[in-house]
Formats: sequence, C-alpha cells, structure tokens
Amino acid sequence: MNWLDWIVLLLTLVIIVGYGIYQSKRDTTISSYLLADRSLPWYHITLSVMATQASAITFLSAPGQAYTDGMRFVQFYFGLPLAMVVLCITFVPKFHNFNLVTAYEFLEKRFDLRTRGLTSFLFLLQRALSTGLSIYAPALILSSILGWDILHTNILSGSAVLLYTVIGGARALSHTHLLQMGIVTLGMVAAGYMVVKMLPPQVSFTDALHVAGKMGKTNVIDFTFDLSNRYNVWSGLIGGFFLQLSYFGTDQSQVGRYLTGSTIGQSRLGLAMNGLLKIPMQFLILLVGALVFAFYQFETPPLHFDRLPVQKIQGTEFSGAYQALEEKHEQLQLAKRAEVIRLNEVLNLQDKAGIDASRQVLSAAEKELQQLRREAGDLLTKATGTATNDVNYIFLRFITDYLPAGLVGLLIAVILLACMGSVASAYQSLASTTIVDFYKRIFAKDKPEQHYVVASRWATLCWGIFCMTVAQYASRFGSMIEAVNVLGSLFYGVILGIFLVAFYFRKIGARAVFLGAVIGEIFVVISYIRDLTAFLWLNLIGCVLVIAFAWIIESMWPQAPKQLTDGE
Amino acid sequence: MTKPEDGLPPFVSSWRQLYILVITVLVLLIALFYWFTVTFE
Repeated sequence: MNWLDWIVLLLTLVIIVGYGIYQSKRDTTISSYLLADRSLPWYHITLSVMATQASAITFLSAPGQAYTDGMRFVQFYFGLPLAMVVLCITFVPKFHNFNLVTAYEFLEKRFDLRTRGLTSFLFLLQRALSTGLSIYAPALILSSILGWDILHTNILSGSAVLLYTVIGGARALSHTHLLQMGIVTLGMVAAGYMVVKMLPPQVSFTDALHVAGKMGKTNVIDFTFDLSNRYNVWSGLIGGFFLQLSYFGTDQSQVGRYLTGSTIGQSRLGLAMNGLLKIPMQFLILLVGALVFAFYQFETPPLHFDRLPVQKIQGTEFSGAYQALEEKHEQLQLAKRAEVIRLNEVLNLQDKAGIDASRQVLSAAEKELQQLRREAGDLLTKATGTATNDVNYIFLRFITDYLPAGLVGLLIAVILLACMGSVASAYQSLASTTIVDFYKRIFAKDKPEQHYVVASRWATLCWGIFCMTVAQYASRFGSMIEAVNVLGSLFYGVILGIFLVAFYFRKIGARAVFLGAVIGEIFVVISYIRDLTAFLWLNLIGCVLVIAFAWIIESMWPQAPKQLTDGE
Repeated sequence: MTKPEDGLPPFVSSWRQLYILVITVLVLLIALFYWFTVTFE
C-alpha cells in the first residue's frame, strides 16, 4: 500500500466512525438505545439487514470460492426470498404487535422463561463464535498488509466498531450501514470494472466468461438432487430457506434491525426489498471471483496466495522442495496459457470440435495445477507447523498486486466496512439479549430505564472483548464463509423449530417444546460430528426434529398451553 | 420517499402482490442463471 491508499483507507474509516458518532442521540430508554425508538423507514431496514448479513467474509471468501470452486455458492441464497415472504407474513406482525425488544421475549409469552432462556443461550453461543470469525477475516488483511501480529490486527478491527456501537446504539448502526453499503457497492463495481479492463486486449468480457466457464467456474445452477452436495438448487431452496428463515426470524442481530421500522409496513417492505436484492448482489460478487480466475489465465498466479507462510518457508529444509513446485507451477501455467489463447481463438471461430478438445486439455491442466496447489499447501503446513488455506487470500492478493493506488485503499476499506457493519449488529444483539433476556428479566427487574441503557453499553463492550478473544483462535477454519454457515446450521434449525412451534402449533406447551429442543440439538450435533449429511440440511433436520419431538412429547404427556393475550 | 403504512406497499396494490413479485423474481433469476451456466460452461 502506498500513501494514497493509506489516505483513502484512513479517511473512509474516520468518516464512518465520525458519522456514526454524529448520528448518535442521547438515549434515555432501552427502546431508544437498542431500537432507535422504532422510527426508521424501509430503506434503512433493507440496507441495514444487508450490511449485517454481508460481512467482510462475504467480500474476502466469496470471490476466492468462485476462483477455486466456481459460482455455485450463489444457490445457497435461493431460499432467502421465500424466507422473506414468510417473515413478512408471520414473524414481523407478531414481533411488532407485542412491542418486543428481542425475539426471545416472545417465547416466554408463548411458553415459559426456561424456553426463552435456552433459546437466548443458544443464540449467544453461536453468535459470539460467529462474530469472532467475522472479526478474524479483516484482521487477516491487516496482518498480511502491515506485517503485524494477528493479535494486534484482531484488536484493531474488532475495536474500531465498538466505539460508535457503544456510544450510538441502533441509530448510529443504521445510519452507518447506509453509508457502508454505498461505499461497498462502489468498491466492488470498481473492482469488477478493473479486472475486465486488465484482461489482454484480444479478450473481451464474454471471452473471459467463456474461459472461466470452460474450466467449470460459471457453474451457477445445478438441478441434481444430491444430499451430499453442498450447493445445488434444492439444498439452496429447501435447506437455505430454513437457514435464512432461522437467521432472519430468530437471530437477534437481524430481528433487532427490522424492529427499528416505524410501522409493520416499513419492516415488511425493508425485508421484501432484501429478498429482491440479495441474490443479484451475491451473484455479482462471485462473478468478480470468476473474472479474477479468467484474469489469472493470462497472468501467472502465485502458487500459494498467502504471502506469510511462503516467506516463512524460505531458509527451511523445505524451501528447495517448494521452489521445485513453483518452477513446475510456472511451466504448467505457461503451457496452460497457450492453450487458453487457443481456446479463445476457437471460441471466436465457433469451432465446436476445437472447443471440446481445448476444454479437455485445460481440464487436465487445471487438475494438475490444483494438485500442485495442494502439495504446496501440505509443504507449507509442514514447514510452518500450522494448517494453511489460501482461499481467503485470493481476492486480497489480486487487489494488492494489480489494482492502482487509491483503489487498493478503497477496497481494503470496503472489506473493513463490511466487517464493521456485521460486527456492530452482532455486538448490539449480544448486548440486547444479555440485558433484556437475562439481566433485566432475572437479575435486576425494577431499575430505571437509564440503568439498562448504561448496562447495555457495558454489555456491548464486554461482548466486543469476548468476540475479539474468539477471533484470536479462529485461524484454522478453511473457508471462513463456510465455517460461519456451518456454525449457524448447528443451532439455527433448532431455534427455528422452537419459533415455528410457537407460531403454528398452539396446542404444544412449554415442557414439550423445551425437551424437543434439547433432544433435537443433540441429534443435530451427532449428525454433524458423524458427517451424516451436508451442513445446509442440518437446518431442516433440527427444525423438523424439534417440531416432531415436541408433538410426540405433548401427545404422550399433555400440558395445558399458555394463552397469548396480546399481539395475536 | 414513499412511506407506506400497514395498508399498502408502494408500486403494487397489495402485500400479496408484493410477495408474488418477490417469488417471481426468484424464478426469473434461477432461469437466467441456468441460461448463464449453459451458455458459458
């Protein structure tokens, strides 16, 4: 990074933090601090839920995933619009009518304190761990660029956001989300434009897509029904629907965003717009990754994209072997480049036989290169003593190696801003659940409102420190975007099952749903440990198990259900 | 900026129509992505 990049980066961060503090008001009630007095319009909600979901991981991992695995990851989001519709019809009116601050308050009204406590606890557990991963992602960038220890960069990326979250609460969050999404969109469009512009003159945008496609990187849609396949249309529509419904319907980091809506209509419209915009946005991010892959067909990519382990291996007993791999990689890349140029020619001539022949050669070369990358990874793991995975570094390396001064700073800022957006919401949701569902409900019932505002600020600070500590141990999860989603899938299905019983199974009481949830969670964890199915299906399994066990227990051991008196 | 109350959303005449629009756009996107996959693979 040169001085211009530093100016752009620092200026962007100062503007965001300053704007967040500027938008803060003196909050005297918990509703004001945690829900911005329920006063925000729909476009705030749309951008706020998008900024909360799109963490730094989205912009770091997703292009890298398209580079290595193709664009099929977009199918993961196919259930999202369906989930938005269900949320608008069922969850939003219930939550608004009961005047809730957290989603879990509803469970005590419908069941009992024990069920509310269990669900809040599961949420705190998974959200705190996931937020640790979300902090770790941009900390990697700073660590790689500055050469700082990951401990210091974890503290830096996790604490910048704490400032305006603690001071400004939900109002500051929502306003900064607007600005963050604007800058993030600008940065990603600029990155997409630059990668196309940097292709060789004879290679057009569609040529680049053909090149990426012939090597399996434009595999957006797969209609094959296969339970062991992580990403296909069916796992996205069914498994993804349950994951997104759980995430948006029961995760306080999202519920807290749309409860800031001034009316039910504003919250509904905000979520519906998210249903329209999210998939195209994710497609475009993955498209940038596929284009980066096409770009590297005409330029030699590094054998391993993470610079640090490559620097560490120099001078060790493994450096000779690594150098030999690099030489072989270089030769293979040169041969492959010649074939890619030939492919481009036959594509322009629409020579089908030539295209098929070229595709076979390239497919074999790509397999050989992947094997070399694996061997290099194994060697680096042996040399450094820690597992290495460079998927999250691919886009970052492209940015720092090829983009012009100023734009590098802007894109690094984009990644940090995305982190700030999701982490701020997470900090606040952890604090609101801790204070509203535990502290205020159990330990300090009748204090003045100002007391709870101060307690919420302290809780935000403490959770921030805890999440930064988790981030320090989050370095060996492979692709972080998958790690976050796997973690969510372990808990979300069960939490969703509890809420669905609450909404749709009025005869099931508190005891049955509590036992059903405990048994369901045990089954989900066993299914994951024994690798019985792809992780997305765990959302469906957890949800169905809770409903089934609760229904069976209620049939065998009936209990009069609690009657709801408000917000029906 | 339009600020709909609980009655009606903007651009369409009912909430039901808005939900149908969201699902229709999803179907169109899947069709578009299928075309994209087939065209470039």
